[in-house]
Amino acid sequence: MGPNFHLLHPHLSPRSRLKPRTPFITMSSSKSRWANDDPEADALVAQRKREKEERRRAKAEKQQQEEQAKAQATQSQSTDAALDVDSGAPPKKRRRLSNEKQQYPLSEVEQQLKPAKSNLLQFPASEWGPCRHVDNFERLNHIEEGSYGWVSRAKEITTSEVVALKKLKLDNSPDGFPVTGLREIQTLLEARHQHVVYLREVVMGNNMDEVYLVMDFLEHDLKTLLDDMREPFLPSEIKTLLSQFISGLDFLHSQWIMHRDLKTSNLLMNNRGELKIADFGMARYYGDPPPKLTQLVVTLWYRSPELLLGAESYGPEIDLWSVGCIFGELITKEPLLQGKNEVDQVSKIFTLTGPPTPQSWPGFRNLPNAKSLRLPPTTGSSSLLPRARFPFITNASLQLLSSLLALNPASRPTAAECLSHPYFREDPRPKLKEVFPTFPSKAGMEKRRRRETPEAPKRGQEAPKLDFASVFGSHAGGDGGEAGAGFTLRLG
Amino acid sequence: MPREIAGLKYYSNALATPEQLTSSSSALDGVSTELETSIRFAGTQLTQAAGVLLRLSQDIIAQAIVTFTRFWLGPEGGSLRIYSAKDVSAAALYMTAKLSFQPTSPRSVTNVYAFLLSKEASPLWFVNSKGSPANPMPEHYHLTEGGYHAQRQVLLRIESVILRTLGFNTHVALPHTITLTYLQTLGVSSPAVARRAFQHLNSSLLSPQLLYITHQPNALAVASIYLAAREEGVKLVDGQWWEVFDVDREDLGFLVVGMQSMEGFARAELEKWKSRIFPLDVEEVEAEIERRAMLEAGVASNITRPVILS
Repeated sequence: MGPNFHLLHPHLSPRSRLKPRTPFITMSSSKSRWANDDPEADALVAQRKREKEERRRAKAEKQQQEEQAKAQATQSQSTDAALDVDSGAPPKKRRRLSNEKQQYPLSEVEQQLKPAKSNLLQFPASEWGPCRHVDNFERLNHIEEGSYGWVSRAKEITTSEVVALKKLKLDNSPDGFPVTGLREIQTLLEARHQHVVYLREVVMGNNMDEVYLVMDFLEHDLKTLLDDMREPFLPSEIKTLLSQFISGLDFLHSQWIMHRDLKTSNLLMNNRGELKIADFGMARYYGDPPPKLTQLVVTLWYRSPELLLGAESYGPEIDLWSVGCIFGELITKEPLLQGKNEVDQVSKIFTLTGPPTPQSWPGFRNLPNAKSLRLPPTTGSSSLLPRARFPFITNASLQLLSSLLALNPASRPTAAECLSHPYFREDPRPKLKEVFPTFPSKAGMEKRRRRETPEAPKRGQEAPKLDFASVFGSHAGGDGGEAGAGFTLRLG
Repeated sequence: MPREIAGLKYYSNALATPEQLTSSSSALDGVSTELETSIRFAGTQLTQAAGVLLRLSQDIIAQAIVTFTRFWLGPEGGSLRIYSAKDVSAAALYMTAKLSFQPTSPRSVTNVYAFLLSKEASPLWFVNSKGSPANPMPEHYHLTEGGYHAQRQVLLRIESVILRTLGFNTHVALPHTITLTYLQTLGVSSPAVARRAFQHLNSSLLSPQLLYITHQPNALAVASIYLAAREEGVKLVDGQWWEVFDVDREDLGFLVVGMQSMEGFARAELEKWKSRIFPLDVEEVEAEIERRAMLEAGVASNITRPVILS
């Protein structure tokens, strides 16, 4: 139990509610322009303050003594009760209903005065309450629209805080409230991390089908930034972004949450050099062993080979493939693997990494869509991606990128392993977020430009059975296949 | 802004505020606390029984029961004069299963509830006072197609109501797995203790003291171990071992007494409702309130009559 647990005295327990509460009295010492400049008055104020402090301390001490006495009393009582095994009488309702909420946070001095009776960890106890109405927010401007919902910038009327308001798309589902929406809220509420977007609360409109997520507003998304930049990020900046991103992802995986739609447009940035993972519309809890899951996840360009080949059980490795794609995109400023369809995507992947071999990916032949896969003869396998695609990055960068884009999911590093990769320790050092460049915000001013990336797959669709026979142009008997751009794609 | 300790949310729950514990929407609507406690108790058993029939695992059932219980608390919670306990039970179970690895269909849920709420076929004491029939007749619990559509509509509507009332806070952490971890940490290898601890944890779901709503899973785990070891005659380590698991003596004492009182409470409830209709929906609650009001008026007039006559 570290020293910071000491701060979590019951009275200070972080009963942080979803609803932002008005802060306690702020101890600001800066003088307002209407402050009285009279030194005498100042002295008087100071004296009053001292007296008040004194009274509060006395009160706290008294309260503490009382508490101790009470604790002793209840202790003996509860022992009696605990020993009284056979009585079976209902317990007396314990008066636990002190007005905890109204207590002031103790000052630091007072905290030191409090003896550490027993250094027990207080669990973060939140509360629940009904959804507030969306009319507590004033909409400022529209940000973007995706398959999952509409996002706009809004202002909370009472506090004037600017937030992002995301309206969930609730189609009239025969199963009631869409499970994706429920999972999005549940995972976001639990994924409290510096590099995950903060869900403040859920508000509703007049009808049951108007549900809005109130989130911290961030000025940028990485996709829009990359599109507008003339030069890609500097290596030191990429390192900062990537380490923030992967530490957020590491946290998600440690909480058994898979994101399942990582892409640059879902990584938000503020003007303080902080990156946050957003859009949990595809996220869900997973388990070990992994449950059977839909393969229709992750936007095509960021989708891992095992998903494309139809694996029915998969794990957090799919997120790390997306990390690899994003890492590559940060380096080159362009999405790494821009497939036109599933077959083209597989073809583009194999062109970059080289085709899988039974040695590099044992068992890939057993995946549903791999049966028809015809591969060119392998030409000398290398564990690294071709240097020519990334001429200007360090060896450690190339190693990390290559391991993330390993075809075999088992070969990819976990998020935690990534963070200890030599890449993050070698020069150039990650740029401090305080000196990170700032950019004009599209989201803050005007409608974001229309996305050029494909959308995440829609829920409820059947995963197509794909025929990959033609991945490398070797035309297999095209019985009724749909002719694509030089490819044959059979759905069915 | 240090908002929350990262990583501990998974093991902790939202707890009821003092305000939510002292008043409820039902109480404000004139439902007596005693009646509310009885209905909540029956509702949790209904949820448990339905979960078993739907072959859901106990963790899903337990989470649904906690959600069901949370729904009624506080002045902003649900009122028994507006929402039927049976509907809230069904919707809580349906929604919890939906979020789990074992989702179930509205069809299955409505079928199971039709059976459990059938006054002739139900095995539940508070629905069918005659006791579980050996061969329940299918006619007694058959749900017609029209009935199904009506029930499904109610199910989905109440699901939304629950979500709104709880502010979409669907997370429920359970003490069961950490109980096993704590037992291992304490070096207790007796399966009897583990079994008994689980029994206490599962009965506590029905507790009128709302133990799952007022205490964190670690405290529930410690109390169940303390009680189970005592009952099974297994000696635990010396010293205040519960502090290792961040539970103070006071909380432990309260929880142990609460868990012990479950049996007496359940027996008293059984006795109280032996020959009466148990109100599980809004109409029955209204009838019960009216019956009580008349009874009171009757008692009052009995007392006053001699005064008038003399």
